[in-house]
Amino acid sequence: MRLPVLLAALVAVATCTETFVGHQVLRVIPQSHEELHKVQELQHLEHLQLDFWLAPRGLGVPVDIRVPFPSLQAVKAHLEAAGVSYSIMIEDVQALLDEEQREMLRSSRQLPRDTDTFNYEAYHTIDEIYAFLDLLVAENPNLVSKLEIGRSTEDRPLYVLKFSTGGSNRPAVWIDTGIHSREWVTQASGVWFAKKIVQDHANKEGVASILEKMDIFLEIVTNPDGFAFTHSTNRLWRKTRSRHSGSICVGVDPNRNWDAGFGDAGASGNSCSETYHGPYPNSEPEVKSIVDFVKSHGNIKAFISIHSYSQLLLYPYGYTSTPAPDHEELDELAAKAVAALSSLYGTKFEYGSIITTIYRASGSTVDWTYNQGIKYSFTFELRDTGRYGFLLPAKQIVPTAEETWLALKVIMEHARDN
Amino acid sequence: IPESGHKYYLQFSTEDYRTGEDAGNCLATVLYPKKKSPPVVSIKCSHTKDQKEIQEEDKILYQRIRHQSKPITGNDIPDSYGNIEPALEPVWALAVAGSSSIMWEKSTETLGYFLAQVKSVRQWMRKDDFIEFDYTVLLHELPTQEIISCHMRLTWLPGHPLKVKHFCAPPSHAAEEGSGAESGSAAGPAAAKGAIF
Repeated sequence: MRLPVLLAALVAVATCTETFVGHQVLRVIPQSHEELHKVQELQHLEHLQLDFWLAPRGLGVPVDIRVPFPSLQAVKAHLEAAGVSYSIMIEDVQALLDEEQREMLRSSRQLPRDTDTFNYEAYHTIDEIYAFLDLLVAENPNLVSKLEIGRSTEDRPLYVLKFSTGGSNRPAVWIDTGIHSREWVTQASGVWFAKKIVQDHANKEGVASILEKMDIFLEIVTNPDGFAFTHSTNRLWRKTRSRHSGSICVGVDPNRNWDAGFGDAGASGNSCSETYHGPYPNSEPEVKSIVDFVKSHGNIKAFISIHSYSQLLLYPYGYTSTPAPDHEELDELAAKAVAALSSLYGTKFEYGSIITTIYRASGSTVDWTYNQGIKYSFTFELRDTGRYGFLLPAKQIVPTAEETWLALKVIMEHARDN
Repeated sequence: IPESGHKYYLQFSTEDYRTGEDAGNCLATVLYPKKKSPPVVSIKCSHTKDQKEIQEEDKILYQRIRHQSKPITGNDIPDSYGNIEPALEPVWALAVAGSSSIMWEKSTETLGYFLAQVKSVRQWMRKDDFIEFDYTVLLHELPTQEIISCHMRLTWLPGHPLKVKHFCAPPSHAAEEGSGAESGSAAGPAAAKGAIF
């Protein structure tokens, strides 16, 4: 009885339909039958609008009563006249509700204080992730730096973390997550990857050996406008949030906007479609910024773009059924990566070229990067295979990130050694 | 098959949607004729559970729903974070079963579906023993990546096949596919008994 009432109170508070200003909760512990009787009398006085959180049950057992402000005097007089003692458990119910609401907002949306207490097992907002980036850099200034490679349509900064132990323009690995905003497990995994890289380096294990020779670039929120939109308005939003003249609908599929088979079968020319390729290649700043970065860096050896869901590891091409010149090597490498991934929790992945394994897709990221000469261009589709799909429960974030990391290491090591 | 269409031979395993337990294997052939029409399917499955076990579980599911004193309602199942309230699990389970019938009707050789989310559900109390729910379900369509919103009316009594009526809103760019409105197993929206949409 109490819980629904408190819940109703909270809902009412949230919807501003009811207020409990001045209401008090009194506790009476009847010591005699007369006292018990007096309290029970109160139950029948409907005009007082009393709300018994703990109804009278017997002697020596507490009775808790929420008393609306207008009835306070009457109730207290009734009890005092009969010599029934009472205590004020809650002086002002509204004040307590306000404090509770503040606490709820505070604890669920607290900006992280350091990357060790950051909750990797939960989904975060863009502000929380951007705060995390700064914390990671501040905690590891000799390893991590934050680059702004551009700005989104809605003018959000596009941040890339650079992990480097030195050198000058070393061969590099690029990893991006969250290019499709609704694929929340990917951004969450990206955050985990960032911390993992730092930890491995500190413990001189895992990717520490890769960092001796290569740099790692990690873009966690590759589509920040879309990501913000999934939090504020539509959890299942996929595209960017651009408006192009002549387009009825908002947004371009950032994974159809690259200059590889642009506009061919495998993308849509209709702005309202989820696979709209956009008015021209690189029309999206989120895509153009990566294109510019890759071209000016000139020394990227492996490029991995991470999506969900389907549990697949894919290599080019998506826009043509002509096999990529390196398809044999890529296939072998994919097999190894998938085996490493499975070794942790038994998660089964399929692998192959985009067009043979998933479907024809034109203008996709890794087709472009491959054609730029980045041989080890891969796309991941992480958990699951459709049971939760995009709405993957948060408790699967860390296992997903852990197993994916094993596959990423295989690819990175191969890129380092070849 | 020249002149006839495409024939697929499938061998697959099944698992319990809730527990992930193995639920048996199936062998099937699916023939998509050259001209547009539903595929011809032949299928044979082995079951790990016997009829009695299934009937028992149906009864338990049914009781869980019947025991509620007020009409069940819900939104966003699972929520943005993948959570499903335990009290709403039975309702989600029915949605999975019901939407599979929608997907069965809608899929083609080149279009497939997953249940992305139950956007809303509302129970209609009936005088008889059947339980009835009104759903808005979101289907994820592949390879188009579209999210299709479908209205689903589902009726059930253990021992009886699930009855599903549906109406899916055309995707926002319907003109492309030239498909327009699709109807459920019964008549179109106007004629459906007690249509609320």
